[in-house]
Formats: sequence, C-alpha cells, structure tokens
Amino acid sequence: MVSASHSSVLKHHFDNLEQQHSAERLGMWMFLATEVLFFSGLFVAYTVYRWLYPNEFGFASSHLILWIATVNTVLLITSSLTMTFAIRAAQLGQKTALIRYLLITAALGSGFMILKGFEYYTDVEERLVPGEIFRTEYAKAVEHQKHASASDTDHGDLQHWSAELAKHNAGKEIGQEGYIDPHKIQLFLMFYWIMTGIHGIHILAGLGCIFWLVQQAACNKIPRENYSTVEVVSLYWHLVDMIWLFLMPILYLAGAGMKG
Amino acid sequence: MGSHDHGHNHSVDDPPTLHDIDKPGGVFLVYVVVLVLALVNIGLSASGGLGVIALPVQLAIASVQALFVAWFWMHMRRKDKVVSLTAVTSLFFVFIFYVLVLGDVLTRHRGGL
Repeated sequence: MVSASHSSVLKHHFDNLEQQHSAERLGMWMFLATEVLFFSGLFVAYTVYRWLYPNEFGFASSHLILWIATVNTVLLITSSLTMTFAIRAAQLGQKTALIRYLLITAALGSGFMILKGFEYYTDVEERLVPGEIFRTEYAKAVEHQKHASASDTDHGDLQHWSAELAKHNAGKEIGQEGYIDPHKIQLFLMFYWIMTGIHGIHILAGLGCIFWLVQQAACNKIPRENYSTVEVVSLYWHLVDMIWLFLMPILYLAGAGMKG
Repeated sequence: MGSHDHGHNHSVDDPPTLHDIDKPGGVFLVYVVVLVLALVNIGLSASGGLGVIALPVQLAIASVQALFVAWFWMHMRRKDKVVSLTAVTSLFFVFIFYVLVLGDVLTRHRGGL
C-alpha cells in the first residue's frame, strides 16, 4: 500500500523521486540521441558535397547574411542561459522567477525565429533560392554581363551575387579551372534552406514546450519536487542550441574572407 | 497492480537533490565562455586568415562550446553513467556514419579495393 503522505508528484512505479527524475532525464537523453542521428544525416551529406565543391560552397556561403547569424547565435546562447536559470528557479520553488526565466527564454527563441524569417525573406528577395528563381536570376546576369562594357564600374561589395558570379565566370567554360558552377551553388542553397528550416521547426517545437511549462507553472503544477519537468525541456532546448553552434559555422563561415 | 506496490518504500516529500542546484556564478561563467568562443569563431573566420584549416578550427571551437553546454548546463557533470553512455553512443554512431560514407565517397574513382 502507498503511504498516506505519498508525494503527489511521485508516480506509483518509482521507488522515490530521484529514481523518477533519473528515468525522466534518461528518456529525454534517449530522444536527444535520435535527434543527433537525425541531424547527422544532413551534416554528413553536407560534408560530402562541401568536400567535392569547396569553391561553390564558399561563394554561396559568403553571400548569406552573417550579421543575422551572429545575432541569432547570441540570442540562442543567451536563451540557454535563461533556461538553465529556470531550472534553478524550479528547484528552489521560486514560481515567479521560473515563469520569468521561461518567458525570457521564449522571447529570445522567438527573436531568433523572427530574425530567421526576415533572413528568409531577404534571401527570397535576393533570389537565393535553388531552382527556377536562382536560374532565372543568374541567366539575367549572364546576359547582362555579355553586354557589359569595359567602362562599367565595379560595384565592389554592393555587387549582386548574380552579377559577381557572371563576371567571375565570364570567358570560362564549364569545368574549367576557376569556374564556379551555379548548379553546385544551388546544392549549397538546398542544404542551407533544409538544414536551417528543420532547425527552425525544432525551435518552434521547443517554444511550444516552453509555453506549456509556463502554463503548468502558472497553475502550480511545477512544485520543487517536479523540477525535472523543466529540466527535460531544457535538455531539448540546449541540444537545439548546440546544433546551431555547429550549423552556423558550416553554413555561414564556409566562405568567410572570400567576399569582396 | 496491488502486489506491485507492496514493499515499496515511498519517501515522504522527497526533496530535490540540493547539491545539484547550479550556482548562478558558474552558470553565467559558462555563458561567457560559450559566447566568447562563438564571437572568436566568427571573428577568426571573417578575417580570412585561416585558409584551409578554417573548417577544422571552426568545428573544433564548436565542439568545445558543445562540451561546455553538455557538461555544465545539461548536467553531464553529475556523472550519471547511463546518460553519459547514451550521449557517447550517439556520437559513436555519428562517427561510424561519417567514416563509412566518407570512406566510400573519398575513395571513388581511385581504382577501388
């Protein structure tokens, strides 16, 4: 029979709360292991094609918006900080602090997604989308390059990627030394959109979990004994942050120093 | 069922393991380290001075950042063996993934075995 003073948090099939918490953490770590394997498929594929086409990947990478990636990195690392403080608040039974830190974490994560949305919008405007959009833009630039005169001023850093690429490839044949293949640039863009898109979906899922925690905390369903509820969500959030720490350099820093 | 509950020693209001509570200073220090490493990573790469070692350096810095996050913020420092085993196992399978795929791709068009 269960003791009359049985904790409301302790589930019947656990001996004590520490065992329950350990099981909850292990369950989340098992899920995180599957997430690592999921993303590793994308990372391995990216590695192969980056090794095969370094110049194209470097060129494409150098035309992504690095300042947005930098700010997003700061936002995400800071959100991991506040998430860790949320666990501490939960362990100390500080409901107000817990909700505050969770909301700050959610705000930082939302800021990440807003900037990501703005970045996507800018990428579409710049025609950095693999497929017909990209091909049409490049074809226009090639046509313009053919008619460009020697007196046309070099726009330097302000030059659109298509003009820069067309000018670079002018006079070169496909496969010739120094030719940057636009098809392989589209390969990079495919990786960029898919990897950051899937990461973004994971951020959204994390935000959903955080808002659920806020609701649970507001309804007094996260007492000190149940702090592990916050901890398992934080484990997921930290992993999403860690994935970005690897994603950002391979996508945004592949061509650093190449532009201009 | 009923027999499942017999003999279980349910502790009354188990407190959380107080020695597990993170100290604010320690948490913030890890934040500073991870943030500085991120900015160093970006700064080094943007300077363009790394050349061919750019990617290994970037990934090495990212790995150090991940280690800090996992060890301190994800509490792997608690030395929960099963958790550590889970994390290491996933990395081991990623390693196999890389080795087998790259072993194929990097050795193509070179006469095979």
